Amino acid sequence: MRFTLIKDLKQDKSMRPIVSGLLIFTLLYLAVDILVKSNSFGLFNSTIKLTLFGDEEQFIEPLSQASFLEFIHTEIFFIMMILLTLSAVYARVSHKKSFSLWIINAVLLNSLVSLIALAFSYYSSPLLINLYVVTFFFWHILAFYMATCSLWSLNFAKSI
Amino acid sequence: MQKAYKFSILYFLLFSLMLLASSILIFNEKIGFSVQSVLEYYQGNEDKFITAKSTSGILKIILPHIFVFGLFIMVILHFKVFTKSRNSQVFHFIIYGAFILGLLELFTPLLIIQGFVFFAYVKIAVFFLFEFLMLYVFWILFKSIVYD
Repeated sequence: MRFTLIKDLKQDKSMRPIVSGLLIFTLLYLAVDILVKSNSFGLFNSTIKLTLFGDEEQFIEPLSQASFLEFIHTEIFFIMMILLTLSAVYARVSHKKSFSLWIINAVLLNSLVSLIALAFSYYSSPLLINLYVVTFFFWHILAFYMATCSLWSLNFAKSI
Repeated sequence: MQKAYKFSILYFLLFSLMLLASSILIFNEKIGFSVQSVLEYYQGNEDKFITAKSTSGILKIILPHIFVFGLFIMVILHFKVFTKSRNSQVFHFIIYGAFILGLLELFTPLLIIQGFVFFAYVKIAVFFLFEFLMLYVFWILFKSIVYD
């Protein structure tokens, strides 16, 4: 992560568009992640419950344990990579260091809780789906904010 | 190191722990930890109606994992620059060990389907060795971030 070592990212003619491009792709990922989940896994309690546990009346099969584990395994990997990269950029370009620390903690904690809540809702209590939904949206909003702020700081703010 | 980076790496370690835990659960659910179950999963079993895996089927599974293993090992190990043991002999051993174990973990199934029963043992041993090696790396990183 060379951008963590450059003194003034805004003045670096090659690193600025590279990091900006990465941030735009991150924003796209966040948006498409929500779109894909709304069409497949579900975004809210009722649809997620239907995906995980199925419905006999509607002849919908429950999600098998192997499929669920594969899903969560992939989610863990993507979330950890995206948020690590985004946090590194945001920490580097943010002006308010103490505030950025709060945001980074909040986004990572919420994403972690969302994954744990999803696992527990599948294995023990479906009530935890609500916690998953809240933390899922919360970390997406925070990540969106971090990416937008970083883009702004890189391209429009006076100095980094 | 900035506090923000320390937090990011600590959370990354937590995510990595979850990734390892989920990989153990998947291995247990889909393959199983006995030599017999590994052989059945890859070579098939007519009595249990388990079809044998084909080379192309295995390649489809390992294709994304090749990139992911490389990236994951690189990201985890490059954090070693924050530790005191960055130039130690042990860490060099860990670097080579992690990549070799990753390679064996990915490609042993291709040898199992060729009929080499011995590699079923290797597959299980390498899986656990890789997990333990990663846990050891997490511990070194955790210690250096929290205590140094």
